[in-house]
Amino acid sequence: MFRFLFPGSSDNADHQSVFDLKRLCSLTLLGALVAVVPVTHAGDTPITDDALVYFIWPKDGAVIKGGKVWVRFGLRNAGIAPAGIDRENTGHHHLLIDTELPPLDEEIPADRNHIHFGKGQSEARIELGPGKHTLQLLFADHLHVPHNPVVKSKQITITVP
Amino acid sequence: MTASLRKLLSASWLCTAAISLAAVLATATTVQADDRSSAPADAVVYIGWPNDGEVINRRKFRVWFGLRNMGVVPAGTAFRDAGHHHLLIDTDLPEADEEIPADKHHRHFGAGQTEAVIELEPGVHTLQLLMGDHNHVPHNPPVVSKKITITVK
Ligand SMILES: [Cu+2]
Ligand SMILES: [Cu+2]
Repeated sequence: MFRFLFPGSSDNADHQSVFDLKRLCSLTLLGALVAVVPVTHAGDTPITDDALVYFIWPKDGAVIKGGKVWVRFGLRNAGIAPAGIDRENTGHHHLLIDTELPPLDEEIPADRNHIHFGKGQSEARIELGPGKHTLQLLFADHLHVPHNPVVKSKQITITVP
Repeated sequence: MTASLRKLLSASWLCTAAISLAAVLATATTVQADDRSSAPADAVVYIGWPNDGEVINRRKFRVWFGLRNMGVVPAGTAFRDAGHHHLLIDTDLPEADEEIPADKHHRHFGAGQTEAVIELEPGVHTLQLLMGDHNHVPHNPPVVSKKITITVK
């Protein structure tokens, strides 16, 4: 059976099956490991399982007249450290505007849709044009790579009349 | 052990001791030479919740720390225009140029927290936020919130 899975030379059958058993074992182990790794890959920096980021303001569905808003970042069970500062169970906030999550095992892009708060800010004034907009918070480590597990908020939608 | 090897070993021990001593002295000097850290003139710290005058129907509740034009950094790490929060409970401001005391009236959030769950006895209490630098010393100018009064039922 092992030989069927892993065809090899048949002239030393005993040896071969032991070898195949080992291979099978290591492959099974590898399979188990792959199964444990979540579908969304994360960076290498650990953070407590109960870390949580959320919007204190605005609320999902809020209507923001004029489009200017102070966005307040909520953070539970973890702390803030500015970008470049490597301290346990900390990171800095990133505000994703009108975009989906970036790859979670890489540095978060820095552009108008991905705003970094690397000075350790916990709130920010933003200005949005008329229309519907999505906002999402994504926490990341000193190198701007999301933690493991990933700490992200729900994506909310706001409307600027 | 040969005499020369012994000599070599004791020389290296002396060297290690000298380096450690130098490191200790350097650390001590850094702490002594500390001055107050500067803060942006427009930095504002405030209590996001509870509001002044709030009546809270439970002993355990969450206090949210608001901070504008300034950043958060955990205690122990010096970073420009940043610091960590201190929640003053039922007390007046401590000395402006000294390390903020650490007791039940002066809570340090040196892990970089921006909110905290606190528990208070029923009654009237005051809350105030004060930023401190990497050494827990208030900034210059001090970044301090309004002192609010709440009632815990
Ligand atoms: Cu970043
Ligand atoms: Cu402190």
